[in-house]
Amino acid sequence: MTPVISMNFIDYTILAAYVIITIAVGYALKKYMITSEDFFLSGRSLPSWITSLAFLSANLGALEVIGMVANSAKYGILTVHFYWIGAIPAMIFLGIFMMPFYYGSRVRSVPEYLKLRYNEATRGLNALSFAIMTLLMSGISMYAMALLFELMLGWTLTSSILLSAIVVLIYVFFGGLSSSIYNEVIQFFLIWLGLLPVVYIGLHAVGGFEGLVQRIPPSFLHAWQHMGSATDNPMGVDWMGVVLGLGFVLSFGYWTTDFLVVQRAMASENLAAARRTPLIASFPKMLVPIIVVIPGLLAVALLPQFKVATGALGQGGATPDYNSALILMFAHYLPNGILGLAITGLLASFMSGMAGNVTAFNTVWTYDIYGSYIKRNMPDNHYLKMGKYATIFGVLFSIGTAYIVRSFPNLMDYMQLIFTFFNAPLFATFLLGMFWKKATPWGGFFGLLSGILAAAFHYFVLYRPGIIHYPSEMAANFYQAWWAWCTDFVVTIVVSFFTAKKEEAALTGLVYGLTPKPHSGETLFRKPEFWAIVSLVIMVVLNIIFW
Amino acid sequence: MESSQGRKHLFDLKIPLGSLLGFYGILLLFYGLFGPASVYKKSFNLNVDLIWGILMLVIGSSFLAASYFGRSVKK
Repeated sequence: MTPVISMNFIDYTILAAYVIITIAVGYALKKYMITSEDFFLSGRSLPSWITSLAFLSANLGALEVIGMVANSAKYGILTVHFYWIGAIPAMIFLGIFMMPFYYGSRVRSVPEYLKLRYNEATRGLNALSFAIMTLLMSGISMYAMALLFELMLGWTLTSSILLSAIVVLIYVFFGGLSSSIYNEVIQFFLIWLGLLPVVYIGLHAVGGFEGLVQRIPPSFLHAWQHMGSATDNPMGVDWMGVVLGLGFVLSFGYWTTDFLVVQRAMASENLAAARRTPLIASFPKMLVPIIVVIPGLLAVALLPQFKVATGALGQGGATPDYNSALILMFAHYLPNGILGLAITGLLASFMSGMAGNVTAFNTVWTYDIYGSYIKRNMPDNHYLKMGKYATIFGVLFSIGTAYIVRSFPNLMDYMQLIFTFFNAPLFATFLLGMFWKKATPWGGFFGLLSGILAAAFHYFVLYRPGIIHYPSEMAANFYQAWWAWCTDFVVTIVVSFFTAKKEEAALTGLVYGLTPKPHSGETLFRKPEFWAIVSLVIMVVLNIIFW
Repeated sequence: MESSQGRKHLFDLKIPLGSLLGFYGILLLFYGLFGPASVYKKSFNLNVDLIWGILMLVIGSSFLAASYFGRSVKK
């Protein structure tokens, strides 16, 4: 198979410079890694501009970028829901309401919060499922990325897997979370600078925004207008599914409880900076559609193979490979030079996504599994070493997963599905834990467990055999998240009425009402509440503009 | 406000970031000026390497400048 893209020496120079600077940054951070907190939480010393860009980048992995361009070519402007309603409210909620408990209680990880607020069993359930899922996810994305590079540049799977794994291993091993965060910030600039030329040249080719609008179907142009009923829009979801499933459960579950992102905010230098982290990140987050949604729309307007499928919903014709939309845009419109930059941006976002997984894994493994169940109360240096070993193990395990998925490609969809079982209900456990002091330890545990089981039940017993129907796979996913959340919420409350409560003194700093209100910074521009309001207003305005 | 507990211990990220972007800027700028013009057929004869090279050079050197002046202010 001939590769879609041919890079020349200038493109390879750009790629090589990135790899070199990445390793150099990791190596230079080595001497700062003295305690385990330095390694796992950057010594809680980073300013909010760095943590917020890392917070955003940790979620802007290469697969996310490719997948969202694909969604945009498939569904049009509806894709913005993943960036606006499906992210901003949750990010604001994290910064304003939840960060005081996360950062203020000095916990070192999300599972550790569950231990303090509920009990050891709740922590164990969350820590184990998170650790395993994180590594599997990193393996899956490594495989998917290697496939992409094979298609794009003709690299063999093994060479892409080894290149990315070795680079990530080196820089995380030396610099821990700091390395990971620094590289995420570098990636943030590379992905923007790498993708904007596609937007620029593509818009030039269609004759600006007016030209673009004329060339794509009208249902691709509105975010809400066609959401009244699931059958009216290409995504097959109604507005309630979007608001409850995506906007509420999935997005809050991800942004407020996934340690991968929360860890970035925990690395901040103080509480106010930690609270500002997701709030500042919400501004560039709202702009990400510029580099993912517009290229997808341009692909529909410019590339003939994507025009086929844009007729009415469910009409025939060969289904195009949407995941190649971005790559084909690169191949058609980027001259060498800029091309290398775009590819480097993709590689950077892939590597930093993987490094994010590895750093989240080594922290949860060391603090919540190894340090809690295997060897407690060892000197700090012991845990620092364990973190480094966990990094090596994590990378090796990811490589193993990548090769397993290669032999059984169906496993990929299957595993991604299983992950959603664990993510959706967790937010109910946190919401009750942080804002209802009567939630009891066993209430938390059984709530979480039954939420996970409810998701599995919904999928395997109701949806798969066809007992419940949804207009689309995505709608099924959104509603499944919603019902899992409800189950967790209700079961936690019911069990809490019948089981023993924790002493109020033990909940100080962990629950709303038993925690002193944080001071929010001295000037208006440092107040988290100020940025929250500005961000919310901009989000509403954007939704109205693209109604 | 809570006191900053970490030592200010990491080196300034603006230095590697500015250097990398600046290097890309110079590279693209030169490639845009002296490289083959035929590659720009794809981009409708827009020399995007040149334009983008200048932009990245500006961004990269602003980071380096911010780092340099930020440090001398502290001193």
